[in-house]
Amino acid sequence: MSDPTQARIDGLVKENKVLLFMKGTPQFPQCGFSATCIGILDGIGAKYNTVNVLADPAIRDGVKAYSNWPTIPQLYVEGEFLGGCDIMKQLYASGELAQTLASYIAPVTAPKLTVTPAAAETLAAAIKDAGPGQVLHLTCGATFQYDLSIGDARPADFTCESNGVTVHIDRASAPRLDGGTIDFVNDARGGGFQITSPHEPPKVRAMSVTELDEKLKKGEPLQLWDVRPDAERKVAKIDAAKQLDEQAWKIVEALPKDTMLVIHCHHGGRSQRAAEQLVKSGFTKVYNLTGGIDAWSTQVDSKVAKY
Amino acid sequence: MSDHPTNFVGDPNVAIKSSIEAAIPGAKCDSSGGGGHFNIAVVSAAFEGKKLLEKQRMVLSAIAHLMKGDAAPVHAVDSLVTNTK
Repeated sequence: MSDPTQARIDGLVKENKVLLFMKGTPQFPQCGFSATCIGILDGIGAKYNTVNVLADPAIRDGVKAYSNWPTIPQLYVEGEFLGGCDIMKQLYASGELAQTLASYIAPVTAPKLTVTPAAAETLAAAIKDAGPGQVLHLTCGATFQYDLSIGDARPADFTCESNGVTVHIDRASAPRLDGGTIDFVNDARGGGFQITSPHEPPKVRAMSVTELDEKLKKGEPLQLWDVRPDAERKVAKIDAAKQLDEQAWKIVEALPKDTMLVIHCHHGGRSQRAAEQLVKSGFTKVYNLTGGIDAWSTQVDSKVAKY
Repeated sequence: MSDHPTNFVGDPNVAIKSSIEAAIPGAKCDSSGGGGHFNIAVVSAAFEGKKLLEKQRMVLSAIAHLMKGDAAPVHAVDSLVTNTK
């Protein structure tokens, strides 16, 4: 090939078994068609590489000539041009794309998911309301944001059944959701779905003052720490709480990482930041006391002064 | 609808339809859209036994002259349906 750009493109499609020429990057697609293609490839869990044609005008024009195809995105599989966005959508819908890319799809086992009876009841009603052909999807992003939605079934998705509800899970989300639970909980803010997964990295959890009171009365092994300075502790303190000053911080950091730590302050803001630090240090059971000592005074022990 | 400036004079949908029907034997074409984005449906017995990629290539090569360059009337084909009947 005499044209250097054509030779470069030829090299790229031969080196990369699954290669998408696109506008932008998988994280930040710069055109709707490219975004659709990334969604499809991620949806079937394929391993792929991309070339951002916006970063290289020679490639942008060159690949149109190379493929004899007028538009971007373009998908190459094993050096062969497979098609643009529209063809990818059709091959995806018919299941052919997953077959073509079978060697490039990491083996993913069907996830196991539990839907609690409370969640099952609400979900079953929602699926029924949505009408025929509509199914329940659950996705879980790389940073463990969960999303429940109702829509058309997609090929290559896994289906999990629990308590009579079928949940469709895409291949990218599947490993993150394995062993997870969909629950329906009623709290102060009203009813809502609560999705949890054992693969989720530790984060600060919330503990209510009544929960803390129960745990203390039962003598559960936990450490209660107060991040407020002396001036505030003179006004009011919870008997079981020790002060988390600089010196105490060193003692806490040396504790076993699975120690249950409950952190509190006046209303819960300062203790949240301290709790986040402890999670970063590797502690797995860190709780922030919701509402702080103020809530404790209101709901548990009115002898504790308010200020 | 996004807008893409063009120096094309006339109705691109008419140009798309006539170009495709002239290039593909016995083709019946419907084109709708504007602002550079079009939805095209073509019916032709000439698609018989052809792969999806080949069918789309036949259509796209027929309108290649309408897609060439930055000021082309056709910026993108949002959907392209090819049927034999």
